[in-house]
Amino acid sequence: MLSRVVLSAAATEAPALKNAALLGPGALQTARIFHTGQPSLAPVPPLPEYGGKVRFGLIPEEFFQFLYPKTGVTGPYMLGTGLILYFLSKEIYVVTAEMFSSIATIGLLIYGIKKYGPSVAEFADKLNEDKLAKLEEAKQASIKSIQDAIDMEKAQQALVQKRHYLFDVQRNNIAMSLEVTYRERLHRVYREVKNRLDYHISVQNVARRKEQEHMISWVEKSVVQSISAQQERETIAKCIQDLQLLAKKAQAQPVM
Amino acid sequence: MASPVPLKEKRLLDVRISELPSWVLMRDFTPMGIAGAFRRGYDRYYNKYVNVRKGSVAGLSMVLAAYVVFSYCLSYKELKHERLRKYH
Repeated sequence: MLSRVVLSAAATEAPALKNAALLGPGALQTARIFHTGQPSLAPVPPLPEYGGKVRFGLIPEEFFQFLYPKTGVTGPYMLGTGLILYFLSKEIYVVTAEMFSSIATIGLLIYGIKKYGPSVAEFADKLNEDKLAKLEEAKQASIKSIQDAIDMEKAQQALVQKRHYLFDVQRNNIAMSLEVTYRERLHRVYREVKNRLDYHISVQNVARRKEQEHMISWVEKSVVQSISAQQERETIAKCIQDLQLLAKKAQAQPVM
Repeated sequence: MASPVPLKEKRLLDVRISELPSWVLMRDFTPMGIAGAFRRGYDRYYNKYVNVRKGSVAGLSMVLAAYVVFSYCLSYKELKHERLRKYH
C-alpha cells in the first residue's frame, strides 16, 4: 500500500522529474534508460556491494572498456604513456621543485594506503555491521513482540472457544449448591418436626410419671392409714417369731 | 532522422552529432536547471563510487586528482615562466 502512495507522489512530481536522471545505482550503466516514465522509488534497492571499478585509483574502468574494441588491452596504457611524454616534452607540464616533493608525498600516501587500507576498511565495515546489527535487532525485537501479541491473541481466541467448559462447571456448581440447600432445608424440616413430636412425647411421659408417682404415694398413704393398731401388734409378734426361727436355723448350721 | 524518442529527453551519448546543437540549445539553462544538473552529476558520482558497502579510496582520490588538474590549468599562466627550455 505504501508503494502506491509513493508512486502517486512520484506521479505528481513527474513533470519536474522528466529532466532528471533516473535514480537507481547500478542500473545506470547496464541499461540506457531514456528520461521517460516515472522512477519507482519503492522498494528501495539495497546498496551495491562495490563501487565502480577504477584502475590506478584514478581512471574508471569504463574508459578502458571504451577503448578496448579499437585498440585492445594496451591501448589506454599507450595513450597514457604518450600523453605523459607529450606533456613533459612540450612542457605543458613544467618540471619544478614541487614535482619532487609531490612525488614523495604521493609515494608516501600510496604506501600508507596499501599497507593500512585493509585494516581501516575492516574497521569501517565493522562499524557499519554494528549499526546494521543494532537496527536488525530492533527490527527483530519489534517483529517478535508483534508475533507474541499475535500468539496471545490467538490463544485468547482459542480460550473463547473453550468458554463452555467454564459455564458447565459453573452450572454444575450452582446445581450442587441448590441440591445442598434443598437437602439442608429438608433436614431442618425433619428436625423441627421431630422436635415438636419429641416435645409432645415428653409432655405425655411427664404427665404419666406424675400420675404414677401420685397414685403410688396415694396408695401407700392409704395402705399405711388402713393398718390399724391391732394388726400392727400381730405383725410385729409374727416377725419376732420368724426371726427366732431363723436364729435357731443359723445357730444349727455352723455345727455341721 | 526521426527517432522514436523525442530529442529533448535523450541523454548526451545517444544524441547524434547532427542533432547536437539543437540538443544543447534545448537544455534547461535557468538557475534551477543548472543547479539541477550539478545535483544530478553529484548524485551520479556519489551513488557510483561513494555510497556503496565497500567503497575504496578511488572515490575520493578521483575528486582530488580532478581538483589538482583543474588548479594546474588555472595556474598554468604563472607556471609557464618556469619552463626549462624556451623552444620545444
